[in-house]
Amino acid sequence: MATATAPASAPPARSKETALNKAGDWARRAPLLPALIFVIAMTQLPFLATIVISFMNWNAYYPKERGFTGFDNYVAVFTDTNARSAVIVTIVLTVSVVLICLVLGLAIALLLDRKFRGRGVVRTLMITPFLIVPVAAALLWKHALYNPEYGLFNGVLKWLFGENAPQPDWISNNPLLAIIVAISWQWTPFMMLILLAGLQSRPLDVVEAARIDGASTWQIFTHMTLPHLRQYIELAGLLGAIYVVQNFDHVFTITSGGLGTANLPYFIYQTFYTAQDYGRASAAGVVVVIGTIIIATAALRTVFSLFREESR
Amino acid sequence: MATVKFDEATRIYPGNDIPSVDKLNIDIADGEFLVLVGPSGCGKSTSLRMLAGLEEVNDGKIWIGDRDVTNLSPKDRDVAMVFQNYALYPHMTVADNMGFALKIAGVDKSEITKRVKEAAKILDLEPYLERKPKALSGGQRQRVAMGRAIVRQPQVFLMDEPLSNLDAKLRVQTRTQIASLQRRLGVTTVYVTHDQIEAMTMGDRVAVLKDGILQQCDTPRRMYDHPNNVFVAGFIGSPAMNLLDVAVVDGGVKLGTGTYPVARDHLKDAHGRSVTMGVRPEDLDLTTEGNGIPVVVDVVEELGADAYIYGTAKDAHQHQDYDESGGDLPERPFIARVDGRRPPQKGETVYLAPKEGHVHMFDTENGLRLGD
Repeated sequence: MATATAPASAPPARSKETALNKAGDWARRAPLLPALIFVIAMTQLPFLATIVISFMNWNAYYPKERGFTGFDNYVAVFTDTNARSAVIVTIVLTVSVVLICLVLGLAIALLLDRKFRGRGVVRTLMITPFLIVPVAAALLWKHALYNPEYGLFNGVLKWLFGENAPQPDWISNNPLLAIIVAISWQWTPFMMLILLAGLQSRPLDVVEAARIDGASTWQIFTHMTLPHLRQYIELAGLLGAIYVVQNFDHVFTITSGGLGTANLPYFIYQTFYTAQDYGRASAAGVVVVIGTIIIATAALRTVFSLFREESR
Repeated sequence: MATVKFDEATRIYPGNDIPSVDKLNIDIADGEFLVLVGPSGCGKSTSLRMLAGLEEVNDGKIWIGDRDVTNLSPKDRDVAMVFQNYALYPHMTVADNMGFALKIAGVDKSEITKRVKEAAKILDLEPYLERKPKALSGGQRQRVAMGRAIVRQPQVFLMDEPLSNLDAKLRVQTRTQIASLQRRLGVTTVYVTHDQIEAMTMGDRVAVLKDGILQQCDTPRRMYDHPNNVFVAGFIGSPAMNLLDVAVVDGGVKLGTGTYPVARDHLKDAHGRSVTMGVRPEDLDLTTEGNGIPVVVDVVEELGADAYIYGTAKDAHQHQDYDESGGDLPERPFIARVDGRRPPQKGETVYLAPKEGHVHMFDTENGLRLGD
């Protein structure tokens, strides 16, 4: 970036050196080019292709109708019942998972912020859900916990209430909730880590000053801790949202998108591989990317304001 | 407003055997300005934090007025504290910072606004009331911290090195402001500092601590004229008092080639054959060769009206017990104040005689003052 702006701001006296400078600049840039070209080829070209395809009527079952159709696919994404329900499911899923994770993460972070024996071990244990491969975590919830025949939940019910204990089919009864709980379990540690970092950067003397000023523990939490954590909460929420919007593993593994749980990524998958409607799948993909960019921009803003705060 | 009383107050940090504050006894009168001073790690801040309720009291009691506050939480003690780093609430405006305690106490809004305005007027903070702390300079932040304490109208002000983050000039200015503000408000104040000049200039009384033990608690004048032991003698006063280990001889102590007369009674409690003699730099006169202490001048500091000479005393041992950092210090120079118009030259040998009646005698073994 600096090299790009330098010639513009350079005084005229330096113009003789410019050619030499340029050569030097390129000598430094050249070794980076293969990586750059590779990244462009692997990420930007497919995205461009997706955008182009999203404006096309391209269905593998109707090869003869292939051609440009303008915004038809986008209109379809927002009017088609399946697509619209996928948008709603995505929003419900993201908002509820992020909120649950934030509340639980904050509670756990507050507990872990205290000093106690074995804190390091407990902290490591609390992080492990985040380290598990998402598909494995989803399988664990689906089979080891939710399964009505041999799952842990119903096993515990039987152990507690005997042979006649209720044996609900957790996933069939509350499919979306089952997915929300499973994703929350995996993402709570992430929120907890960020919030714990926030808690530990809290200036101690400010808390002491508030105690002397007569604030109770709860008042210190609401007047001092929460305002201090605001940016950390925003950051955790936004980063979490980016990932949860894109969640595919849990939906695919636990319900296969059935029972009204198909979110946008799953809808794209279905449209592409089952319906073979490449145009509409691309349009839905572009919608997800735009949504994610909006969230990510807000996230980056929060990150930068955090850095400003730190470097002040 | 109230009196404050430390009654055998002791603090032992978990995992430590030695108390950080050891059986502290101080009575602070209503409206008094007491300064706790001492080298770092002497327990002065811990004592203050015990009074604030931020540090547990392991033994003994602390009283504010006629209330035993030993086991009360900070919010129930009715004290206000100014922190070294000010500890302003970063997300609140200056006005909210100053009014926070009142808001928590449930005082109604118009009253809060009124009291904040009054305090802001006293401290010249009126133009900054709507600013956040990060938009203020160091001196302004310091005043906001003061304002936060004043608005409370507490029984006791506690100040923990409130000037240490200011630059030298501002520190001197603010020092005077705080002292005069305290006199005007008449609120009992406990002030912690490591700077003995601050202690001497601000306090009604000064308490010197070392290793958690109170060394002496007296008025600045008395502390200067009548230090109880070698530590206080060396700590209070700038430049520091000269402390020499001198042999006891017939009729006095051996000083240079001669004898400095000291009444026999004066030294009767001394252990051993030598005592520690303390003379302040301003209590030394230049004299003729053969009299007094021969000193080779290393450095001359000319301050205009006065000059200080830093040198090495011949035939005399500097007392090495006094040591601010706990490590081995290089031998301290012998310091004397001389007439600024006719200072001696570097490398010259001068002869310095203590003024009559301005010599302090201490036991070399236990450091205690000898005689009256």
